[in-house]
Amino acid sequence: MDLSTILALLVSCTVVFVLARVAVSNLSVHNPSRMQNFLEWVVDFVHNLVASAMPLEKAKKFIALGMTLIMFIFVSNVLGLPFGIVTEHHHESKIFGYTYVTDEMVAEHDGHAHVAWWKSPTADIMVTLGLAVVVFFLIHYLGFTQNRKHYIKHYFQPFWFFFPLNLLEQVARPITLAVRLYANIFAGELLIATILMLGFVGFPLLAVWQGFSIFVGAIQAFLFTILTMVYISQAIVHEDHDDDHDDH
Amino acid sequence: MEFYWESTVIAIVAFILLYMLLSKYAFGPLFAVMEQRRQLVKDEIANAEASRKQAEQQLNEQKLALQEARKEAFEIIEQAKRSSAKQADDILDAAKQESVRLKEEAVKDIENEKNKAISALRSQVSGMSVMIASKIIEKQIDEKSQEQLVDQYLKQVGNKS
Repeated sequence: MDLSTILALLVSCTVVFVLARVAVSNLSVHNPSRMQNFLEWVVDFVHNLVASAMPLEKAKKFIALGMTLIMFIFVSNVLGLPFGIVTEHHHESKIFGYTYVTDEMVAEHDGHAHVAWWKSPTADIMVTLGLAVVVFFLIHYLGFTQNRKHYIKHYFQPFWFFFPLNLLEQVARPITLAVRLYANIFAGELLIATILMLGFVGFPLLAVWQGFSIFVGAIQAFLFTILTMVYISQAIVHEDHDDDHDDH
Repeated sequence: MEFYWESTVIAIVAFILLYMLLSKYAFGPLFAVMEQRRQLVKDEIANAEASRKQAEQQLNEQKLALQEARKEAFEIIEQAKRSSAKQADDILDAAKQESVRLKEEAVKDIENEKNKAISALRSQVSGMSVMIASKIIEKQIDEKSQEQLVDQYLKQVGNKS
């Protein structure tokens, strides 16, 4: 069990939820607060995003999903940027009865086992895989329930022997989603860790890289969301022509 | 690098939980408010349109009323002008008639007075002439020829008058 990931997930969820709650704490039709304005801007942004992927009348249902995705992923992406909490362990350590540092691990690291407590949850491929799995099941559930005939038919297009290829594509989708997000964020954190080794010399570089990481985090959140919407759109929108394969 | 399958499961649960919580406590109310605002804006636009139309209609009505009032005023003035002119004419006519009447009356009076004066003069003259004649010819003629003479004179006087 990876305690830091769980902690990070918990923090991310809490931050997103508190942010959203604060924004809607004082809802007003006539005189929206700054936070409400901001959240409404996010709603409009996601609405445009969703609407760009599918017909407008189907877009409304997925705005909440898109908002949750983009906010959660963005917060998760930038969570690891500002600081890190690392503890050093020389003995076996337990928390809530769970052994997170064993004696073998301490021995492996010459008696100085370092545990990072604070990181981006999305810098863990298992977390991004979880998100991708949610999207995967959602796509296939929606496709199967709302657009069954088209959904089944599209596995055998353009010819029946394309079935394995189409199957591969369906499997590749969540994996690419997960790996893309994970790799970007993990690389960012890795580089931060590397720059930190430089000591004080690396400070300007660190600042620049952290700024860029915010940008990357936003882009990745955006990408994950819009790809989800595109997949959903492909699954539920019936199109008569055959070329709705996406390649990425 | 190790893979912890627990992370995946917890991530899935956390995300679904977050989605539900956000939908219920954050996005639901927010969407409702946004929809409400959209409705409000729509209503306001409709209201503005309606009141604009109403204002236009009222303006037209007022314009019409103003025109009517102007026409009426013009008519009243015209009528006043006409009636005053007529009155002046009437007064003038009445004055003319009165003057003519007065003049005629005066002429008649003068005539009457003249006739009266003539008749009075005639009676006086006849009496006086009788007296004069009687005094002059008292003894020259008798009663009968005297009478004839008087008549003759009288006739002469009457013709001369």
